[in-house]
Amino acid sequence: MQQGGGSETEVTWEDQQNINKFGRLNNRFHELEDEIRIAKETNENLEDASNELILTDEEVVRFQIGEVFTHMSKEEVESKIEQMQEVTSKNLEKLEEEKDSMLAQMAELKKILYGKFKDSINLEED
Amino acid sequence: MRIRCQMIQNHGLAGSYKTFWVRTQPNSPRPRVFSLFAYKTKVLLCSSRSALLTVCRSMASSSSLSAVSERRGIPGASFVEDVQSYLTQLGLDVNSALAFLQERLQQYKLVEMKLLAQQRDLQAKIPDIEKCLDIVATLQDKKGAGEALIADFEVSEGIYSRARIEECDYVCLWLGANVMLEYPCEEAVALLQNNLENARASLEVLVGDLQFLRDQVTITQVTIARVYNWDVHQRRSRQAAAAIKES
Repeated sequence: MQQGGGSETEVTWEDQQNINKFGRLNNRFHELEDEIRIAKETNENLEDASNELILTDEEVVRFQIGEVFTHMSKEEVESKIEQMQEVTSKNLEKLEEEKDSMLAQMAELKKILYGKFKDSINLEED
Repeated sequence: MRIRCQMIQNHGLAGSYKTFWVRTQPNSPRPRVFSLFAYKTKVLLCSSRSALLTVCRSMASSSSLSAVSERRGIPGASFVEDVQSYLTQLGLDVNSALAFLQERLQQYKLVEMKLLAQQRDLQAKIPDIEKCLDIVATLQDKKGAGEALIADFEVSEGIYSRARIEECDYVCLWLGANVMLEYPCEEAVALLQNNLENARASLEVLVGDLQFLRDQVTITQVTIARVYNWDVHQRRSRQAAAAIKES
């Protein structure tokens, strides 16, 4: 955090708690962005997989579970992929919601902290 | 037997030792005065009991009067209400206070790195356990179908082989430390679920610890900034006062 030019504003315990909360939210926000990116990639991969599945004419498809590729029929693999897609899209929705609420909270805190400290505090991304 | 001492006041004396007023907890209210050599851990003899009191140097520099909470070995950073009283309480000048706070910050960073490494390990372990559960579930499904499961598995890097897994009621689980045990499918599922729950619970606790730690880091950083600003302010007012005197 940048140091102010010897300002007079005292930092109360409440301010400190607000600053702590902002720091916590900021960290969680970055983690969420990473998680959302990974979830989006997984979603895309599953999309591609199901498209490939439609195009292929083999009856037996090798589906990866863990580290082995099990031989399964096309229908089974289709239903498995659909299941996985449902799970990932629900997860993605939840993460997006959390991210939005986090942004709202951070904007609130920014308003409060800038209101009190003006130039003495810097809450932007560097 | 060790009794922790709580320092209530600290008088600096010239020379290499300081005298501390020490109150032993919790039963003896009368303060006893002991002489210590500063910067060394000293063993003090309590006059009325044969207990040994050990006072460490780190306790000599911590302000014990503020309520500092600690979490699983991570010391809490005490919040400073007023910089002036904080410095007089510690009995340090600005530079040593800043040095002390910087040192604390470094210690926090070390602990943070350790916790982050643990978090990464756990985050890698959880998908592994989920994959194991998947496989056992697949085997259980196939049991009802009556046909064997054919799978391609990796023999070595880039080399795969085909395996035919007949109907079976048992799976072997790798427990670590070169130990593998055979379990009936249901017990295996129960064990893996248990491991998964434990891993998730530890991850939560770890995340809580990390949040606490980051709060302490923030508090320490803000305290450093405030002490520094206070010092700058003092210098400016001293300069201004000197300038007025001269003119």
